[in-house]
Amino acid sequence: MNKTSKGGISTGLTRRTVLSGAAAVGLAGVARAQAPGEIKVGLIVPLSGIYTRPGQVMKMGAEMGIEHINSQGGIKALGGAKLKLVVIDCGDTTEKAKNAAQRMVAQEPDLVAATGSYLSSFTLAVTEVTERAELPVLTLSYSDLLTDRGFKYIFQTAATASRQSELGLPTLMKLAENASGKKPKTVAMLMDNTATSVATAKALKEKLLAQEGLQLVVEEVWTPPLSDATPLIQKVRSAKPDLLLFMPNAVSDAKLGLEKISEFGLGQGKIPTVSFSITIAEPDMLQSVSPETVQGIMTIVANWGSKGHEALIAELKAKYKEPWMTQNVISTYGDMWLMKEALEKAGKAERNAVAQAFRTMDAGPSKYYPGGQLKFDEKGRRVGAGVVIVQWQSGVPVTVYPPELAQAQPFWPKKS
Amino acid sequence: MLRMRSFLPPLLFTLAYAGISLGVTNSYYQLILTLVPVWAVFGLSWNLLSGYTGLISFGHAAFFGIGAYATALGQIYFDISPWLLIPVAAMLGGIAGLLIGFPTFRLQGHYFALAMLAYPLAILYVFEWLGFQEVTLPIKRDAPIAYMQFADPHLYTLLGLAIMLATIVLTQLIERSRFGMALLAIKQNEAAAEAAGINTLAWKLRAITLSGAIAAAIGGFYAQVLLVVTPQSVFGMLVSAQALTVAMFGGVGTVWGPVIGSVILIPLAEILHAEAGARIPGIQGVIFGIAIVCVILLAPEGLFWKLRDLLRKRSVSKSTAGETLEPAVANVTALKPVARPRAATGEVVLEVRNLSRSFGGLKAVQDVSFKLHKNEILGIIGPNGAGKTTLFNLLNGFLKPSQGEVLIDGRNMSGQRPHVICEAGIGRTFQIMRPFLRMSILDNVVVGAYVRARSDDEARKLAADAVARVGLSAVANRVAGELSTKELRLMELARAIAGQPRILLLDETLAGLGHGEADEVVAVIQQLARDGMTIAIIEHTMQAMVRLVDSFLVLDHGAVITEGLPEVVTRDSRVIEAYLGKKWVGHAAN
Repeated sequence: MNKTSKGGISTGLTRRTVLSGAAAVGLAGVARAQAPGEIKVGLIVPLSGIYTRPGQVMKMGAEMGIEHINSQGGIKALGGAKLKLVVIDCGDTTEKAKNAAQRMVAQEPDLVAATGSYLSSFTLAVTEVTERAELPVLTLSYSDLLTDRGFKYIFQTAATASRQSELGLPTLMKLAENASGKKPKTVAMLMDNTATSVATAKALKEKLLAQEGLQLVVEEVWTPPLSDATPLIQKVRSAKPDLLLFMPNAVSDAKLGLEKISEFGLGQGKIPTVSFSITIAEPDMLQSVSPETVQGIMTIVANWGSKGHEALIAELKAKYKEPWMTQNVISTYGDMWLMKEALEKAGKAERNAVAQAFRTMDAGPSKYYPGGQLKFDEKGRRVGAGVVIVQWQSGVPVTVYPPELAQAQPFWPKKS
Repeated sequence: MLRMRSFLPPLLFTLAYAGISLGVTNSYYQLILTLVPVWAVFGLSWNLLSGYTGLISFGHAAFFGIGAYATALGQIYFDISPWLLIPVAAMLGGIAGLLIGFPTFRLQGHYFALAMLAYPLAILYVFEWLGFQEVTLPIKRDAPIAYMQFADPHLYTLLGLAIMLATIVLTQLIERSRFGMALLAIKQNEAAAEAAGINTLAWKLRAITLSGAIAAAIGGFYAQVLLVVTPQSVFGMLVSAQALTVAMFGGVGTVWGPVIGSVILIPLAEILHAEAGARIPGIQGVIFGIAIVCVILLAPEGLFWKLRDLLRKRSVSKSTAGETLEPAVANVTALKPVARPRAATGEVVLEVRNLSRSFGGLKAVQDVSFKLHKNEILGIIGPNGAGKTTLFNLLNGFLKPSQGEVLIDGRNMSGQRPHVICEAGIGRTFQIMRPFLRMSILDNVVVGAYVRARSDDEARKLAADAVARVGLSAVANRVAGELSTKELRLMELARAIAGQPRILLLDETLAGLGHGEADEVVAVIQQLARDGMTIAIIEHTMQAMVRLVDSFLVLDHGAVITEGLPEVVTRDSRVIEAYLGKKWVGHAAN
């Protein structure tokens, strides 16, 4: 245990700070002299435990991104330097995530930026460490809290949870009105009690439902894992709402709920069902439920492989056998390009310069995130970040909104 | 002097650890070095309750989480420094311990363990419901030290170590005091502990309060290290399990167990996570699990005890090679049993009036009345199932009588708790021996002395005195596990008289002894009586009894058949009938 690594990020003593700072500058100098060298970027995601699957998918996105950037000439401002991905498993608990982040900053002192860590609790813990180590981190997690802490080294590419419901619900209402000719009036809400669902529900209940003239007729909360959905769905059936907001965050919960909806004869659009996370549109869903069960179900998500990403989606299918491109893949892929952008702008492979580049960046419309610009506000939130609405159509979740990203026309299930 | 010396190993360990920590500049290794004392302290807090009392708690995360959330929320909502919040957290943890302990200590064994499991899980949902799914400590860039947010990670380790050292010393103090003895006695046999004058509920509540306070304090510090608090990370099953794992791996019921467990397991888990997990994600859990299973199989009580047993075996085989352990009781047997005048006419110290107890339809004891005179030896005999032990249980408070009174010195004490009756001057031994096998004879006996002793020193003195009276002084420092049945019987006797009772209830003290051995024990009992003790003894072996007792009380089917002098009672046809059956009555008359 008394091993010491050559580049410990000990910021405690002034003398040491000065020394390590000098070392970092020295290293950067060397890197430039040896151009084109390698520039390390980090991916800190769960690769063990119950969140392994999203972590693996994010790794696919990162690997594809790195491959594309390098094959197109690397970082031009640094003499065509190539990006190198450092993958770190952040495990399945907050403590493991914190330890992994500490390992990342201690063991990989020449990282210039990182992305991660799927679950917002993990991202919270990871960024507590990276903030102190002054390592810029991009994240697809969308808890509002992440960018409410006054941190300077976190950059959130997705719209925050409350923003997503703010953006999503009105759009959804418009969709419903256009497709069915009338506005929904009553709504039932079934949710688990994870941080994401709670944040979304809070925004809905405090403001959005009233704003859209929706009356909440059923509200039920469960703690994952859901053991039996019968009582929940029974309440929905007797209340007969115009709209059902179903918000699971585990595939097994989603499956139980949807099967019960189908069993009670509420599926296939008897009651239009909407979700707020990518869980319900994960490829895993089809392993447990039939395409008919999910037909027509919509979900509001922060990102999705959509129109304009056809080549990417095809490559993902060919290379990794993934049937479609979820938020985790496309966002992480986009993060690599965003890091490239910052490196080009910074002109040197140094984390503080890269962080500064993220802060001052204004690189126009975003290609791999929906809506807005490649630009961050003072909190580190991407300016104008939008949402995508995805709908299950014939066994595939396709994007139906916004129009410029839509792969298909939405259909609003008719109430019989 | 002896005390100071025992604090030396933890102090040296802490200093060595601090030295290593200061030499580590890698912030990741430093974090691991910080987490080791954190989990060690959590393990110690668990050990304080479950290790010593044997009441397994699956729910220590309840206290840990309360501490973590108190520290986090106090900073967020009231801007209070964690230097203040951690002591406050400890207080809250203590209160939680008291609140949880009071109802839960009604349960025992598995039921207690399962009930404890429920608390953190229930609190977890409460915190989720309150909307504290994710809480982060506000970053204090202008006053980091005042808010325990050190830029130098060494300071976290040193602080963690300070808490660990304090907890170790506290645990050691408790271990050797009346507190620790009481807890150990509860672990061995809660009923016997009550009978030895220990107010078990009060001590258990003290233990869970202190344990909860330590767990909450370290939970608060943990929040400070982790900077993010989620219900799962502080109230989760894995957190409670962590306390059990480090303590059981290292050794239960010793201050070193949790420390050893934490020093090995926490870095091991992290190294596996960093090294193996990077190659085959998920394999770290498998290796970690297998390692724990192997160690538990090889050393079921934990590494500490395994190592200690090995060392002890080696040193014992060396030191006792030539020496023989001569039973020291021999000098007592020389006394003539008739040397004591019979004193059945002295003042009445214990009076039983119409005592009855039934279990459902079974009348175990019915309408029993007798008087016990000062300095008398009363033999209570009767066939199996006659209600002898039930009668004792009624006398010393294990059972509440359905009817009747037990008067001690004229005061009605029926229905009182056993430790109260013990304080009133009644000591007892048990048919089934419950020695503390790992403790020395002297330590075994000390447990019984606390009911009279005001200080630890006085208790040791009383215990040494009691050991001398039963003739075990020569072997007083041997571990109880190495003793013969006779020596164990004498040790139990010593434990009962260490509390200086005036009345001694002996339940089949001669059971399982050979002829010669029984005589030795009988001699000790007679000596006790000669010294002024009043004794009631249950026994099957008539032969020994006839020589020992002043008078007999004969029970059958829960009722008194007869009482009187030994010579008379043994010829009574009702007694012979009860013992041997009707057809023997004729034979016996001849």
